[in-house]
Amino acid sequence: MQRDVGSLPLAPALRARLVAAGFQTAQEVLETGPCGLSKEIGISKEEALEALQVVRQECHSDATRTAGAPGTSRKCTALELLEQEQAQGFIITFCSALDNVLGGGVQLTKITEICGAPGVGKTQLCMQLAVDVQIPECFGGLAGEAVFIDTEGSFMVDRVVDIAAACVQHCQLIAEAHQEEDHLKALETFSLESILSHIYYFRCRDYTELLAEVYLLPDFLSEHSKVRLVVIDGIAFPFRHDFEDLSLRTRLLNGLAQQLIIIANDHKAAVVLTNQMTTRIGQSQSTLVPALGESWGHAATVRLIFHWDNNQRLATLYKSPSQKESTIPYHITPHGFRDVQPPAVTQNPEGTEMNPRKRLRREEEK
Amino acid sequence: MAAKKLRRARLSQELCERLSRHQITTCQDFLCLSLLDLMKVTGQSYGNVQKLLCKVSLACAPKMQTAYEMKVRRAVNPSSAFLSTSLHGLDKVLHGGVPCGSLTEITSPPGCGKTQFCIMMSVLATLPISMGGLNGAVIYIDTESAFSAERLVEIAGNRFPAYFDSDEKLFSMTCSVYLYRELTCGSVLKRIKSLEEEIISKKVKLIIIDSVASVVRKEFDTKLQGNLTERSNFLARGASLLKYLAEEFSIPVILTNQITTRLSNGPAIQADLVSPADDLSLSEGASGGRKRESGCVTAALGNTWSHSVNTRLILQYHDLPTRQIRVAKSPVAPFSTFFYTIEKSGFVLQVYSVTDFGVVHLNVM
Repeated sequence: MQRDVGSLPLAPALRARLVAAGFQTAQEVLETGPCGLSKEIGISKEEALEALQVVRQECHSDATRTAGAPGTSRKCTALELLEQEQAQGFIITFCSALDNVLGGGVQLTKITEICGAPGVGKTQLCMQLAVDVQIPECFGGLAGEAVFIDTEGSFMVDRVVDIAAACVQHCQLIAEAHQEEDHLKALETFSLESILSHIYYFRCRDYTELLAEVYLLPDFLSEHSKVRLVVIDGIAFPFRHDFEDLSLRTRLLNGLAQQLIIIANDHKAAVVLTNQMTTRIGQSQSTLVPALGESWGHAATVRLIFHWDNNQRLATLYKSPSQKESTIPYHITPHGFRDVQPPAVTQNPEGTEMNPRKRLRREEEK
Repeated sequence: MAAKKLRRARLSQELCERLSRHQITTCQDFLCLSLLDLMKVTGQSYGNVQKLLCKVSLACAPKMQTAYEMKVRRAVNPSSAFLSTSLHGLDKVLHGGVPCGSLTEITSPPGCGKTQFCIMMSVLATLPISMGGLNGAVIYIDTESAFSAERLVEIAGNRFPAYFDSDEKLFSMTCSVYLYRELTCGSVLKRIKSLEEEIISKKVKLIIIDSVASVVRKEFDTKLQGNLTERSNFLARGASLLKYLAEEFSIPVILTNQITTRLSNGPAIQADLVSPADDLSLSEGASGGRKRESGCVTAALGNTWSHSVNTRLILQYHDLPTRQIRVAKSPVAPFSTFFYTIEKSGFVLQVYSVTDFGVVHLNVM
């Protein structure tokens, strides 16, 4: 109630008039009433009423926030967080080595970024995740839906059909092996048609459409509350050309990152972004680094880098708050994203070359 | 969509006038501002500004479609999803041929047959749908003046002698190939921008640009400062325009590229490679068995361009006269190699061999 008038979310011109007229706290504004307000400041009675309603709503929500209403507050103890995290599911990738490295799979409520050279398999993994998020709970999945925002035009429906068919077949094999009631019942609804119907596809051609779509995403997710995965395939593409004003680009990207973090938290969804690689010309050599600059590196919580080593595709966990950095091989098969047979999590001793600026984590003596 | 004027986004007239006084006329300008800037410029409260943002976003956000709807739409028109290359092995691996709605790049050292491939595809696009074509016109943008109408007629006559049995049919085929000679980057870009209307009026079903690399490398010397970014900008703008045309009209776009030798020392080159398939010197039968230390040969035009094309085919010499065609980047095909020769009728596949670069597992775990 003692809130300063300058901090109220009113129109700037109106705020300026209130301050000029001598109002200091929200309480004073509320006490004056609409007619008095309109006379003092020189605005119409309707405008005064509108302003009063805004102020009243602000003070009311302030009060509920300080009273600690459950659900609206964003603070909790670490123990509650631990319980939440342990109960949370992961989105598996069907490559067990990659799942192990990630600590179970792609985490919900976090932003995961996949960087890699063209053709290495980023879109393949995104399509695989869009199918895997829909696996029914009895098979170890999340039974969720997926939003796929495509900026590069690399989404191929035929490929998703192949991946989905392989996934359904895999679940059928498990159901036959276990012969349980709920498995068979879940299989009835888990079909190719239902998987495809629950992937919501948006094609954004430039950064304006991408910005517009991310603004509308919270409403969309409230309507479709089962969405557990948001994929933006190609966050770099619309921002990499025709941008003379780099500071504008940084500001827009930071804004996007903030909105995506809020979306991930509020709707308990995983956000997966794919990024391109760009060549950084150094003094003596040039290296491939993730595009979009240094500051973008802070946006994602988990960062995976896909790269080649001779003829083998490798995935390196480059940044993670809870897992150790490691590199594992993977394959793209006609059925999707898979392990190398036999599956093995190899600790690549030269993996540290990828992170020249990070301190080496010492192996723990156990 | 970004350049949509705010008037058409259903904002009130006086609000539009007020915004235009601050030079904010399109949706793009509106969405690029932060919330506080918007409050200042519109003179509205926080809640109202958020509602305005929603309105403007609704006006330019893309429509939602489910993957199922996309599949159904593809199933209704199966023949329009690919342009068959009439090379059986290659078509099988690419799930039908050159995909419609995305960019396909053909790269090779000089003389391997890029222009021949383009001329062959032009003939194929004009064929009726029953014969695997798209029954439409072709726009051929030639920057090297390498297009030969005589060769076009020769390939048509020799490849499909049963269909092109009369001069009339040959004549009508040549009438549907529109050739544009552009010699500078600026004119190429201008031509691409003007294509939208031409595609509708002439019922075009294939766009070929032969070659992108020659005109770009002539004008931009990457050793000079600033040229690298300008070149990337030009390529990116061209790529996004072509992608828009390809998707909007569901037609294939074929571009040709050259190769470049990256001379450097040490492991730095490794980082620049797009994929092992791209490294021409790694493949079998590279002329002279080039060693890795001296440098590596990859597709030109840089990393950003490699991200923009969806499919990449590499042509190479094998043992003259045999050459090989390799699928180096494709969202649906694994790495595969085919051998061919160039005859009167165009490309002829020799040995139906498929060599995979990585081990491909065909059974679900």
